[in-house]
Amino acid sequence: MITTIADLIDRALGGFDVLTVTAEPVEDEYQYVTDLGTVWRARLRTVATARGTEPAPPGTDAAITALVDEAARITDPHHAIDWLSTLPQVALAALGEPA
Amino acid sequence: MRFMEARPDGRAVVYAHIQADPLVARAADLLADATTTQRLLARAVMNGESLDPAVWRTMFPTLFGPAAPAPGDPVRDRSEAVLHASLQVADRGDQTRSQFRGAIVEAITERLLAVRTGPVRRERRILFDGRPAEIHPYDVTVERDGAAEAWDCKWGARGIKADVLHQLDDARRGAADESGRLLVGLVVFDARRSSEIRLVRERGPVAIDSVKLIALEGLDRLAGRKPA
Repeated sequence: MITTIADLIDRALGGFDVLTVTAEPVEDEYQYVTDLGTVWRARLRTVATARGTEPAPPGTDAAITALVDEAARITDPHHAIDWLSTLPQVALAALGEPA
Repeated sequence: MRFMEARPDGRAVVYAHIQADPLVARAADLLADATTTQRLLARAVMNGESLDPAVWRTMFPTLFGPAAPAPGDPVRDRSEAVLHASLQVADRGDQTRSQFRGAIVEAITERLLAVRTGPVRRERRILFDGRPAEIHPYDVTVERDGAAEAWDCKWGARGIKADVLHQLDDARRGAADESGRLLVGLVVFDARRSSEIRLVRERGPVAIDSVKLIALEGLDRLAGRKPA
């Protein structure tokens, strides 16, 4: 089965969800974490809507796998908040999209 | 409005050693002329856990994949050099890594501003007649008559806090009270999208338009050029 851009974005969003859970203990940053989720999920979904049926470009399947694996290594809640901004940017860059 | 040296405290003395580390200068030299994606690579690696370069090459196919410039191409060589320097920073302990990242953003800012204007200075205080001086120095200043600038530098959007915005806005108002002009801004080595939502939440009574925001995608604007 051909991997599509929508598939990759679904996986990236899954990695984002894991980071969100890891970041939860930082209560002071609850609003910022929520805001990050709102804007970056929307940005990624915009790409899925526009290009979702396209086949994944060469290298992007492995790129998103490596990205989500890296996000899963994050156990520190503060690092997770940093990665909530970093992960979507890297996913978009892999797909040739601006942040 | 007058600029002056900040009196070094204990933190500043320790931080000065970080700022003077050759790795900071090398990373800043590479990143000042890097593309946005190369800068993002540096951000991800310096924030990351993995120290295996192969992981990061896989994660950035537009820099290292089959469609990327071949080894030997200057763009590819810079990507490799950025990756190498970033891994060296990531390999430090957590606290040291954090200090390196901050020093690198300041050094990039200094280099980019110097392309457009000058003189550019680091760690300076700004004094205004009849106003108490802020304790904390500004990270990077442009001390040019009639076109002065004061910049605070942050590795990530989380570094945008109300006290930082207040200090920048206070300096701007101080200059205006003396009929002077002072451009104040934040340089954030993070996405504009993340920085803007932070700025809106943290602004407090500060007029948001009074503080210029330069995010990772727009760093070249400091040098007066379009993003690479």
